[in-house]
Amino acid sequence: MAEVILKDVKKVYDNNVVAVQDFNLHIADKEFIVFVGPSGCGKSTTLRMIAGLEEISSGELYIDGELVNDLQPKDRDISMVFQNYALYPHMTVFENIAFPLRLRKTPNDEVFAKVKEVSEILGITEYLNRKPRALSGGQRQRVAIGRAMVRNPKVFLMDEPLSNLDAKLRNQMRAEIILLRKRIDTTFVYVTHDQTEAMTLGDRIVIMKDGFIQQVGTPDEVFDWPDNLFVAEFIGAPKMNTFNAELVEEGGKYYVTPFGSKIEVTGEKGEMLKDKNIGSKPVTLGVRPEHISLAKDNEEGFDVTIQVSEMMGSELHLHTLTDDGTALVVRVQTVSLTAEERAKMKSGEKIRITFSGKVMHFFDQETEKNILR
Amino acid sequence: MAENKRHMGMKAKNRLSNTLIYILLIIISIVWLIPFVFLVCESFRVESTYQVGYVIPHQWGIDNYVNLFTKTDFPVWFKNTFIIGLFVAVIQTIIVLSMSYTLSRLRFKGRKFLMNVMLILGMFPGFLTMIILYKVLSWFNLTGANSVPGLILVYVASSGMGYYVSKGFFDTISKSLDEAARVDGATRFQVFTKIIMPLAKPIVIYTILTAFMAPWGDFMFAKYIAHATSAGMNVAVGLQNMISTPQSLSANYTMFCAGGVIVAIPITILFMSLQKYYVEGVTGGAVKG
Repeated sequence: MAEVILKDVKKVYDNNVVAVQDFNLHIADKEFIVFVGPSGCGKSTTLRMIAGLEEISSGELYIDGELVNDLQPKDRDISMVFQNYALYPHMTVFENIAFPLRLRKTPNDEVFAKVKEVSEILGITEYLNRKPRALSGGQRQRVAIGRAMVRNPKVFLMDEPLSNLDAKLRNQMRAEIILLRKRIDTTFVYVTHDQTEAMTLGDRIVIMKDGFIQQVGTPDEVFDWPDNLFVAEFIGAPKMNTFNAELVEEGGKYYVTPFGSKIEVTGEKGEMLKDKNIGSKPVTLGVRPEHISLAKDNEEGFDVTIQVSEMMGSELHLHTLTDDGTALVVRVQTVSLTAEERAKMKSGEKIRITFSGKVMHFFDQETEKNILR
Repeated sequence: MAENKRHMGMKAKNRLSNTLIYILLIIISIVWLIPFVFLVCESFRVESTYQVGYVIPHQWGIDNYVNLFTKTDFPVWFKNTFIIGLFVAVIQTIIVLSMSYTLSRLRFKGRKFLMNVMLILGMFPGFLTMIILYKVLSWFNLTGANSVPGLILVYVASSGMGYYVSKGFFDTISKSLDEAARVDGATRFQVFTKIIMPLAKPIVIYTILTAFMAPWGDFMFAKYIAHATSAGMNVAVGLQNMISTPQSLSANYTMFCAGGVIVAIPITILFMSLQKYYVEGVTGGAVKG
């Protein structure tokens, strides 16, 4: 129930490694914000600075309007769920959840009531007398979440809470976190390296790389309008295809010329190119695998050779090579294929593909920035 | 069939090697136990007080024990040793555990250097400093009859250097437990007492035991500092003093043996009752629990 403001936050470790820099972010009250990025990008470090577990080298951190740079974790009124659960092995589940209340000398009957309430929400009532070691991974994570939510913190921090769970459980817990969020209704800061988690959970996503924020935006924004090549490739699975192409202006229209074909840029993006008067230039072109389709006979397109065909059930992931050796991934919906076509989607086969003029992303070849942003 | 045969062969081989191992172990334990059996037998021998050429006493009795408590200062030595052991156990345990926790968890300038220096210093035998220590203690009048507080000081003084084993144990306790507790609202001290200590029970027991046992059996320092003052002696020095000349050896030998048996009793009780934790404490850090 508080907003969190990070101003020019920087973290330099003792060995002079800069983990985070120029970090500016305003997290609104009751917002669910997700930090995402590859390992070593500084996302966990930033979270730990908010928690007070890492010192802030420079910059300011405000929680609920109060400057908390020099406050101990216990005085920040935050709670945190750790990747490895961090349950106290010598305490029962009940005592684990009650621990934050006990430290605050909460009266016994209140402790009982609160722990009961939390364990009912999380469905762990029957395990209250067990020790953590007698629980499965999913149950442990529930206990960890219970311990974090039992005292209504101002900010709820989660550090890769689902990374230690198997894929099925992870999907289930992800859905539960969405439900939980509706119940708890406080400010959430969630760290993950998994873009699916980021996309499904976050109100806004902060994408980080090498200690810098790359982009902050809603899931739709970062997916449809990536600021740069890194964000474009990081968000979305399988990742966006990127390759060099010419952007050509001809008679007030813009075309791209990938692999010997010539495709007109249409829709909003075509308009924007015109408005900004970009002109002809070489660009890095980005097209998501799901936006590539099989070319019809009369359509402009180009040939690729299938290297690997992955059957995912509802769709096929085709790893292909163009004639000049560029790797492209194509996602094909299996329902849209005839049996005959499907039989052709095999390693070594040639197919002709194309993509619509509306779905392309254009990046500057030098700065890697989106030229339309 | 061939499979079966091979299987049988393995079983027989296993049994053979087990038998050999057990025989070896039994021989080792006999060799190891002989001195103790001799000592106990000698302590109950009442027909003579000097060393003899046989083990089993011709006449059994508890005279030696009675004499030890009535005719010598043994109760004083025993009390001295017990007080020293108790104080050292408590103070040293507190110092060692705090030191180890600090070195395991906190990061500060000079930490690595400090650890190395202490490790290297610890490799020098303690008695190198004996003369200096005696001098210092005598300035404060802590020798001779006052050696008990003096000895406590000496034993406790360098205890921080014994951080190594327990630091290794603390290192195996995940740091995220500390962090979780701090976020949950605990101070560093509460983390230490409420989270780390309960988890480190084996190593606490181990530290208490070693802290108690070292002064209990110490001879060199105790002898040096107590001098010839009986009131300041511990059991080891007192008992040795009892047989230091040929005449006294002949007169007190069996009583000396009785003293040896009594000294072993508290240690044995302590060890037996805490043995479960002790073994855990020594090996517990080796694998992730």
